[in-house]
Amino acid sequence: MMRQKHNFVAGGIAAAALVALMGLAGCSTTAGVETTGKTSWDEQGARILEKNVVFNSSSLKGDLQIVDLRGVQAGDIMRAQATLRSRDKDTLQFQYRFDWYDAGGLEINSGAGSWKPLLLTGRETKTVQGVAPDPRAKEFKLKIREME
Amino acid sequence: MKNGMQKLLLVTVIGAFALGGCASTMQYGDAGSAKPISTEFGSSDLQQIAEAMVDSMIIFPPMVELTSARRPVVSVDKVKNKTMQHIDTESITDSIRTKLIRSGKFRFIDRTTDDQTIEELKTQQDSGLVDKKTAVQFGQQIGAEFLLTSNFSEIRQKVGSTTDVYYKFTMSLKNLKTGILEWSDEKEIRKVFTRGTFGG
Repeated sequence: MMRQKHNFVAGGIAAAALVALMGLAGCSTTAGVETTGKTSWDEQGARILEKNVVFNSSSLKGDLQIVDLRGVQAGDIMRAQATLRSRDKDTLQFQYRFDWYDAGGLEINSGAGSWKPLLLTGRETKTVQGVAPDPRAKEFKLKIREME
Repeated sequence: MKNGMQKLLLVTVIGAFALGGCASTMQYGDAGSAKPISTEFGSSDLQQIAEAMVDSMIIFPPMVELTSARRPVVSVDKVKNKTMQHIDTESITDSIRTKLIRSGKFRFIDRTTDDQTIEELKTQQDSGLVDKKTAVQFGQQIGAEFLLTSNFSEIRQKVGSTTDVYYKFTMSLKNLKTGILEWSDEKEIRKVFTRGTFGG
């Protein structure tokens, strides 16, 4: 009888821990990666891209590496490309979006962009591309986060 | 045996509490979220298609050249929906048209509001309310130079607990004078749903 009770308690604790873990995983929110590229010009008038990568999620930093970041012009429209490498051996699901800023640093069509799914198989390198919504864009920000 | 039953009961009760903690909440969601909910055509699919089409069109080199000096007038055709779902395809073309207008590269005519336009012009011409000098005359509208056409298809496969749906949206820009397709692109989306053991 005593042993049965012990088993019951142990089983209960294990079950509670498991369910709590599932509950947390199901409702947790995740931070992500932000990387920016800004078009500017040097003294000779050549176009240069200032780059900046911010990881505000330690788990994403372990999973993902930003290998390359570039911006080019298609006519007067700015295009951006980022090369991402998975550090994980399993398939990872992310979502990403490009935000665009004008020369004054104001966001264009603020909040209108949508997230796009990104599937990275183990150790895969993949590029993601974005196109500016209009010719005002001179700076972009790539945001990556886990698939909620 | 009784012990097992008790454990099961406890797990069920705790499970119900844990689920209760996550379920039945009301909040604003992210309108741009890419999280898929089902294999049915969803909001993120619409956004992905619209963005892919617009991005492709405005950076296509002949289009860059065409739109560098002028803003061509385009008309949008209804999407040929060959999927098995009832989809508001006008919503897809509306998103595409809005983005193209906002890019500043194209201008559009809208045939869906022609009835209202005719009614308004008739009122201006015939009601006697409007100053003839400011009344808009019939036959002044600009004809479209291009027609934006699209096809939407789906391939659905179901094996056991897995449902695999492949969507393909194809769009073309037809030169109405020459009949030539000046631009075309397609966007593919694959959604896979695997039913879990607990029906999740």
